Amino acid sequence: MVSIKRYEPQKEDILSAGIDIGTSTTKIVISKFSLMNMAGGMHMPRIEIINKEVLYRSPIYRTPLLTATKIDIKAVENIVKQEYAKAGIQPNDIRTGAVIITGETATKENAQEMVHTLSDNAGEFLVATAGPDLEGIIAAKGSGAYEYSKKTGKVIANIDIGGGTANVAVYKSGKLCGTCTLHIGGRLIEFNGEQIKSVSMPIKKLFQQWGTVLNIGDNRHIAVIQKLTDYMSAVIARMLKCELLSSDQPLILGHEPNWKEKIDGIMFSGGVGECIYRYENRSSGISQYDDIGEMLARSLKESKELSSWEWINPVETVRATVLGAGTQTTEISGATIHADSSDLPIRNLPVYEFDFDNNLFEGLKRLPTAFQNAVDLYDSQREGQNFSLYLTNLPYLGFRDVQQLAGGILDSIKAKPNPKQPLVIVLESDHAKVLGQTLQVQNPTQSIICIDQIRVDQGDYIDIGHLLQTNVVPVVIKTLTFHHQ
Amino acid sequence: MNPELVEKVTKMIVERIQAQQEVESNPAATTVKFWNHAQGTEPSVTARTVVTDTNSIQENNHGKGLVQFRSYTDDTSASSVGEKVSTNQKESSTKAAIDPSHGIDNPLNPEELKDLVSKTPARIGVGRAGLRPKTNTWLKFRFDHAAAVDAVYGDVQENLLTRLELFKVNTLVKDKETYIRRPDLGRKLSEEAKQMIKEKCRKSPTVQIIVSDGLSSSAVDENAEDVFLSLQQSLQSLGLDTGTPFYIEKGRVAVMDDVGELIQPKVVVLLIGERPGLVSAESLSAYLCYMPKKGTIEADRMVISNIHKGGIPPVEAGAYLGTVIQKVLKYEASGVSLVQKES
Repeated sequence: MVSIKRYEPQKEDILSAGIDIGTSTTKIVISKFSLMNMAGGMHMPRIEIINKEVLYRSPIYRTPLLTATKIDIKAVENIVKQEYAKAGIQPNDIRTGAVIITGETATKENAQEMVHTLSDNAGEFLVATAGPDLEGIIAAKGSGAYEYSKKTGKVIANIDIGGGTANVAVYKSGKLCGTCTLHIGGRLIEFNGEQIKSVSMPIKKLFQQWGTVLNIGDNRHIAVIQKLTDYMSAVIARMLKCELLSSDQPLILGHEPNWKEKIDGIMFSGGVGECIYRYENRSSGISQYDDIGEMLARSLKESKELSSWEWINPVETVRATVLGAGTQTTEISGATIHADSSDLPIRNLPVYEFDFDNNLFEGLKRLPTAFQNAVDLYDSQREGQNFSLYLTNLPYLGFRDVQQLAGGILDSIKAKPNPKQPLVIVLESDHAKVLGQTLQVQNPTQSIICIDQIRVDQGDYIDIGHLLQTNVVPVVIKTLTFHHQ
Repeated sequence: MNPELVEKVTKMIVERIQAQQEVESNPAATTVKFWNHAQGTEPSVTARTVVTDTNSIQENNHGKGLVQFRSYTDDTSASSVGEKVSTNQKESSTKAAIDPSHGIDNPLNPEELKDLVSKTPARIGVGRAGLRPKTNTWLKFRFDHAAAVDAVYGDVQENLLTRLELFKVNTLVKDKETYIRRPDLGRKLSEEAKQMIKEKCRKSPTVQIIVSDGLSSSAVDENAEDVFLSLQQSLQSLGLDTGTPFYIEKGRVAVMDDVGELIQPKVVVLLIGERPGLVSAESLSAYLCYMPKKGTIEADRMVISNIHKGGIPPVEAGAYLGTVIQKVLKYEASGVSLVQKES
């Protein structure tokens, strides 16, 4: 038989890992992204992620702790190693992904060390993320709330309740409206058989307010616990309406709810979400946790206040965050970029946005001051903390304009304590190749990374991975801002 | 139809128009704003003033209700036509765009509509008036059509060629009508052209850049310079030497075969105006071919198309072309042969 050779568009598969170390549980997913050139073979390439497939889901492990305030880093590393082996992959097969440390675990004394050890050892370009806002965002992407809002145009609140915190992210038509985090979780009171084993700080404060006394070693006071979980449900309802009372303060972590939209539907994910929906195979290792999680789930289900919203079934419950971290954090740059591969990957670069306001000439005049401001902002100690420059609202650029722009940028980087460090530029428009090339021509020794077609915001942090075969770079944006309309 | 009836009906219509004109002498009504589709997703605005020809109406009053049709070539009214054109071309970029999503009255989901409209330069979400498009949409359509026709029949500005130091040669085509009817003649250089190229061009360069108006002179006017300069910079930084560039008037893509025979370059890059469409009349293509010669088949040519302000930015296209040329040189093939060798 004669085999006919067909034209195959440029394709590439990359592996992504997601690792979530939460208050109660730790889990891992490995997924495969398929990248393909979506433009015809004769056009400027346009590489897109066309498919994401979850290859492996780990069982759900208890997060190993050394003491109440310390994570057992060795044990976590062992879990990761063991799970990689089970999935049949090596750490250096991993091209992208994120390690996220969530809930109360993020407050442990060695939390920082934990994520950085993992992101260094568990894959070449695995980025570390943390922060309650980001956690809510990632969970909403993993649970399917983001997709649902995008598909229906509705305002959807995803409430991810784990062991220590409830992370809420509100999306409208796929756009983030706001986030909020509460001290509401299954593990805030733990039992040991019939006795109370521990009560977390926020709950103690709350009990103080109520004048309730609940000590370690006391018997389970079903009535008191019931009152507490009912109260938690009511707080969630008030939060969704942005009507929190001053007496609810002990349960707020960080800022108050900051969306303005009226919520159409709600979705629960996280460990407590699992207690509501029961998606997981019981035998797969989720044991009884001996805490208030189950009761909280029941309170939520029976809550009158919460029944006023439409409840939407999540796609994932307890694994929402880890799936979000593994599959929803990576973006792909434009395919015509300029990058010195020796300087990649680059991690944790703060973004400084510079708005040209559609006027190149005026913009260039302001650029040196802006650079100075950026240095003051991100490197106030002059320690050489690099940052990336995000250029927005550039007017239409002709060749001579690009020359001027490159000249202006090269002049301005003299403000940096170490101008030799890689010059990282992110562009909104499709100009990375020509700008990078022009910068290189004007200063052949400068290391330049110029990427485009990525949307970031002032204050975001970005990580840029290795150059892939398709000539794109994976980019992880750790966004903390909201898009209000 | 009988001519008297035609005259009568025309007279009635003109009277109607005049009556209307008097009632709504609102200046805003004569301004039509266009959303420039070609310039990205956000509605950046171009306002064009449509001049209502008050002169002719006045003339009609004096001319006993007879409608006067003016032709472009009518010398007697040349001055007033000139005036009209200049006002017509008055463009201002004001902030108050006609947002295309407003073309639809009371959209069910305005945000979703805006999102959809931002994804394509096609005329979607423009609304309708009964069964027909709205006046703005219709005028914009007519305007784009006219721009497309102008692009085909126009000539490339001389000062552009001077700036880029391109000398001009001709194909076997003498005028535009022949150019359109006889594509084969546009693919061959004239004898004078061959002579001039032999005299002026450096032989056997690695890369030979040529420019041609093709079917859109405005594509060359608007974009060729940026692509050309950016491509030159790109080739320079890649260390590839270029031959003496020149301009071919009324050329077709395959004219590069003649150039290949004459100069014997490794790669020919031909920047040529694309057939104008209604989204853009200024779209430029860059055709590449490894050692083109007589008998080169079309499958061995490759193209980067859609180079214009609303498509691939010309400067970026130039920078990218350098990389493509590098690949063509590496595999000593272009087009389908390149794809085959690559995989």
